[in-house]
Amino acid sequence: MLQIKGLNAGYRELHILFDVNATIDRGITAFLGPNGSGKSTLLKSIFGLTTIYSGKITYNGKDITGIPPHKKTRMGISYLPQVDNVFPNLSVRENLIIAGYTLEKSELKERIDAVLTIFPELERLMSRKAGVLSGGERQFLAIASSLIRNADVLMLDEPTAHLSAEVSSQVFSKIADLRDKLNLKIAIVEQNIHGVLEISDRANFMVGGRIVFSGKPQELLERLAPANE
Amino acid sequence: MFVVEGALVYSNLLALLSIGLTITYITTGVPNFAQGSFALFGSYTALTLLHTLKIHPYASVPLAFAVGGLAGVAVYALALKPLVKREASIVTLMIATLAVDLILLGIFGAYSDFLEGLTGKSAKKFIFTSYDFSIFGFKTILLFSTFAILLLLASLSALFYRTKFGIALRASMENPELAEVMGVNVARTRTFSWFLSGALASTAGCFLPFRQEIVPLTGSLIIVSIFAASIVGGITSIYGSVLGSYIVGFSESLLTFIISLAFGQILVYSRVISLIMMLIALVLAPKGLAGVVKKKWSIYS
Ligand SMILES: Nc1ncnc2c1ncn2[C@@H]1O[C@H](COP(=O)(O)OP(=O)(O)OP(=O)(O)O)[C@@H](O)[C@H]1O
Ligand SMILES: [Mg+2]
Repeated sequence: MLQIKGLNAGYRELHILFDVNATIDRGITAFLGPNGSGKSTLLKSIFGLTTIYSGKITYNGKDITGIPPHKKTRMGISYLPQVDNVFPNLSVRENLIIAGYTLEKSELKERIDAVLTIFPELERLMSRKAGVLSGGERQFLAIASSLIRNADVLMLDEPTAHLSAEVSSQVFSKIADLRDKLNLKIAIVEQNIHGVLEISDRANFMVGGRIVFSGKPQELLERLAPANE
Repeated sequence: MFVVEGALVYSNLLALLSIGLTITYITTGVPNFAQGSFALFGSYTALTLLHTLKIHPYASVPLAFAVGGLAGVAVYALALKPLVKREASIVTLMIATLAVDLILLGIFGAYSDFLEGLTGKSAKKFIFTSYDFSIFGFKTILLFSTFAILLLLASLSALFYRTKFGIALRASMENPELAEVMGVNVARTRTFSWFLSGALASTAGCFLPFRQEIVPLTGSLIIVSIFAASIVGGITSIYGSVLGSYIVGFSESLLTFIISLAFGQILVYSRVISLIMMLIALVLAPKGLAGVVKKKWSIYS
């Protein structure tokens, strides 16, 4: 279980997150909110890519607040950034190799084959540079990269960005599959509110760097409904 | 003919130096003005072994490589890493390396005093040309420096394209944050790049006394040509910097030679040619040759 307690964080002097408390436990936890509300900053902070002023992040009871990102990856926390989530000058194959950097050679091969069965589209693109892929293809590669490591906690920042409605719903059902089969702890940030709440077990809503709602997805939907009219 | 030979040797050594400069610039964003002085670690390692243990300078290359690598790591870890961590501006980093350069100058000055006291032979001004020999009519320095650069390019391309660590190096050059996210210890790839850069500079420094006289100030003088080579080559491309080295190296050697035939001895001003080329590159092609022939030469951008 990943817990965030009283987190204040931002970028150097720019304070973005205020007193954030959240829990990422088995199942899918959604983080929603308007643009600029601090959702991505929260995931980045958990991973150690921001300036943390105060608060604590624990993983299975262990304080991991100041641990460098590459060690968190080795601890089984996997993170899909919202932007710049592939290496444009590396080939698709090289991207996948780096994504599995922490794995043994034999395991890496196995895992690459495994994600290629989830995203068969990537197979014919293997030797192409990631920088020339279409937006959707690049997103497949990014998601595949985050799935290659055998993670226990999966943090996905807008996994369905750039994807068609149809493909988005496929991605959501694949994520739900992962939760059911592997018992993962998944945090998802999404713009596609309905799509993600359908598969979520818990939901958080952020505004202005604070979590203003934390509870059942159904309840959040009901609260948001009038605003959406 | 001897001018062309000399130009080739000089260019080979410039290439060793500017590849190192480029590597640390891409990986850590530090424009290292002490790169020239890193070369002197090699020169002084060779001189020390020659005068104390009678070891031929060519046999000192492996030790020079290691000493330079460790010096690179030490400078990075002690002086630059804390600044990079604090996201210091490029100007701060530049000034820091200038300070390092001055400190190294002082160290080499003091060390040459010490070495003179120890061996009774000059260490403030030395040259190895009398120790060189010929194979098939070619100066050994020409063969060795050419071999070194070919070996280096082959090993770098094997490292970067055939090994997982090499792919990790390229990944952390391209996007260090994402590389960290993937589990790459970027602090380690950065440290490695400083080792490699220091080691290459020091190797060049081991060869350099076969071409020119070395004084403690040599490093601070040659840095102009190293930067010119890197900038002409595009500063962010390793292969570009190799190309830049040959252009700058040949221009410096040949143009000054031609001008000196016409106007007499002005070899002292050879650096002016590097400076002019650097200016031309900055004005006409800010991304250097790698920017012009990007697809072919630049491997990172
Ligand atoms: N690297 C950065 N440096 C400085 N400020 C940043 C940085 N990244 C984000 N911000 C600022 O932090 C605030 C929160 O941004 P964040 O990316 O967390 O929002 P978000 O909720 O993910 O928005 P979106 O839905 O648009 O992705 C914004 O005001 C943004 O301008
Ligand atoms: Mg975001």
